[in-house]
Amino acid sequence: MKTILLYTDVLDEGYIILMTGLLIVFGGLLLLTLFFKYGLPFMLYIYKLITKGPDKKVTEISPTVNENFTGEIAAAISVAVHMYLDEQHDNENAILTIKQARKMYSPWSSKIYGAYNNRF
Amino acid sequence: MKKILLIIGVISLLISMRPILGLTSASNTVETTAVTSITEDEQEDSFISEGISGVKQFLSYTGFANAQAGNIIMIVIGIVFIYLGIKFDYEPLLLIPIGVGVIIGNIPFVAGNQTGIYETGSVLNYLYFGVVKGIYPPLIFLGIGAMTDFSSLIANPKLMLLGAAAQIGVFGTFLGALYLGFNLPEAGAIGIIGGADGPTAIFLSSKLANGVNLLPDGTTVKNLIGPIAIAAYSYMALVPVIQPPIMKLLTTKNERLIRMKPPRAVSQKEKMIFPVVALLLTTFISPSSLPLLGMLFFGNLLKESGRTERLAETARTKMIDIVTILLGVTVGASTQADIFITKDSMLIFGLGAISFVIATMGGLIFAKFMNLFLKGDNKINPLIGASGVSAVPDSARVVHAEGLKADPKNYLLMHAMAPNVAGVIGSAIAAGIILSFLG
Repeated sequence: MKTILLYTDVLDEGYIILMTGLLIVFGGLLLLTLFFKYGLPFMLYIYKLITKGPDKKVTEISPTVNENFTGEIAAAISVAVHMYLDEQHDNENAILTIKQARKMYSPWSSKIYGAYNNRF
Repeated sequence: MKKILLIIGVISLLISMRPILGLTSASNTVETTAVTSITEDEQEDSFISEGISGVKQFLSYTGFANAQAGNIIMIVIGIVFIYLGIKFDYEPLLLIPIGVGVIIGNIPFVAGNQTGIYETGSVLNYLYFGVVKGIYPPLIFLGIGAMTDFSSLIANPKLMLLGAAAQIGVFGTFLGALYLGFNLPEAGAIGIIGGADGPTAIFLSSKLANGVNLLPDGTTVKNLIGPIAIAAYSYMALVPVIQPPIMKLLTTKNERLIRMKPPRAVSQKEKMIFPVVALLLTTFISPSSLPLLGMLFFGNLLKESGRTERLAETARTKMIDIVTILLGVTVGASTQADIFITKDSMLIFGLGAISFVIATMGGLIFAKFMNLFLKGDNKINPLIGASGVSAVPDSARVVHAEGLKADPKNYLLMHAMAPNVAGVIGSAIAAGIILSFLG
C-alpha cells in the first residue's frame, strides 16, 4: 500500500514534514517533561497516601522530596561505597600455603596397568 | 629397531595396496585417454607453459591485479579511521571495527566467487543482513538502555526540551538534502545523520534508502546505508572537534560561567516508573519508532527493576559488544569502493557536517531561549544545550570540558547527561516520524 502523493513539489512536502515533525518531537518530549514535572510527584504522593503507616496522618506526609539531599551527595556516597568495596582486598592473608592434594586410588590412573609396562 | 621395521611394513603395505586401487582408476583413464590423446603431444612440451599460465591465472585473482584507485583510497581511509581511534581515542570502540571493516570491504577481488559483501551467499553478506534489515540497531538500543542512567533527566525534566531542540538538525538536513536533489525517502534517511545517533541512522536508512524500495514514479531508491552510517559514525567521533567552536561562537563568557544547582536525588521508584511511562508516551506518539524506543526502555527497565540484574548485565556488556563488532565490521565493509565512492556519498558527507552544526546550534540557542524564562539558580548553562545532539556520551563530555575551561570548578557532566539522553529519545522519535511520513 503506497500513499499517493498529492504534492508534486518535493520541497513543499519537505516543509510540511519539517514543521509537523518538529512539532511532534517537541510535543512528545514536552509531554514527557510535564509528566515528570507534575504527574509523577502526584502519583508518588498518592502512592504514599495509599501505603501510609497506620499511625501516620495524611497531613504528616509531605508531597515534596527532601531538597537538601541532592544528586551530588548521592554520587559522593556511592563513590565512597564503591571505593570501599573495591579496595577491600588490602587486608588479605599474605601467607601462601600449598596444600598437598592426595588422590584416591583408581585403576584408571594406575601405573600398574599402563601400556608402557608391557614393553620388552 | 622395531619401530623402523613397523614403518617399513606400513609403507610396503601402502605400496602393495596401490595396484589394487590403481586397477579401478586405470579403467577410468582408458576412456579419457582417447579424448586427450589429441592434445597429449602438446601437453608433453607445454608442461612449463602450463605452469606459467596457472601462475598467470593465480595472479589475475590476486588483489594486486584487481586493485583500483578507489580501493586504495578507501583502504587508506580505513587506516586513518584506525589511527584516529587509537591515537586520539575518538570513539575507538566504533572507529576500529569500522576501520578494519573498510579495509576488509575494499580488498580487491574477482566478482562471482561469493567474496564481497554485496554478493549473495558470501559470509559478509549474511552478517550484513542484520544491517540491511535493521536488526542490529534495536539490539544496540537494548544495551544502551541497560547502560543509561536517566536520573538526571528525571530530576530536571525541563532539560528534555533541549533534546527536542537539537532535532532541528535532523529536519534542517532533510530540507537541505531535498534542495540538493535527493528524493523524499533518501532525504529522510540523510536527515537522520543530524540525530547524531549511529543505530538510529542505520535503522532509518535501512528502511528508507535500502536500494529495494520503490518510489512512486517506479524507480528504486539508492542504497545509501553505507555512506549514511559512515557519515553518522565519523561525525560522532569528531564531536570533540566540531562542537567547541560553535559553543564559543554562540555563548558569552558570562553564560558559560553559570553554575547550575545540583540535581536532586531520584528515588528508585521514579527510576522504575520512568521507562514504563516514557515507553508508553513516546511510542503512542510515534509508533514507528517502537523497535528503537521499545528496546531502549526495555533495557532501562531491566537495569532499574533491580530484579533482572543478570539480563541487564548481559545486555550492557556481552550482547552490545557482539552486536557492535558485527555492526562495525559490516558497516565498514559496506563501503566497497565501486558502490561507495559516488557523488551522492560526498554530498551526504557535506550534509552530515552541516547537520551536526545545525543540531548543536539548535540546542545552544534553545537553551538561551529557555534562560529568558528562568530565574535565579534555576537558570541553565547554555553549554549543555549542545549535548542535545545525542552522540552519547561524547557530547556531554565535550560540554563538561568546555565548562571546565571557562570555570575550573564548574562540573557540568551530570547536567549535560540529561539533554544527552533526551537527544537519544528525541532522535528516535524523529526517526519514527520520518518513517511514518515516508516509509
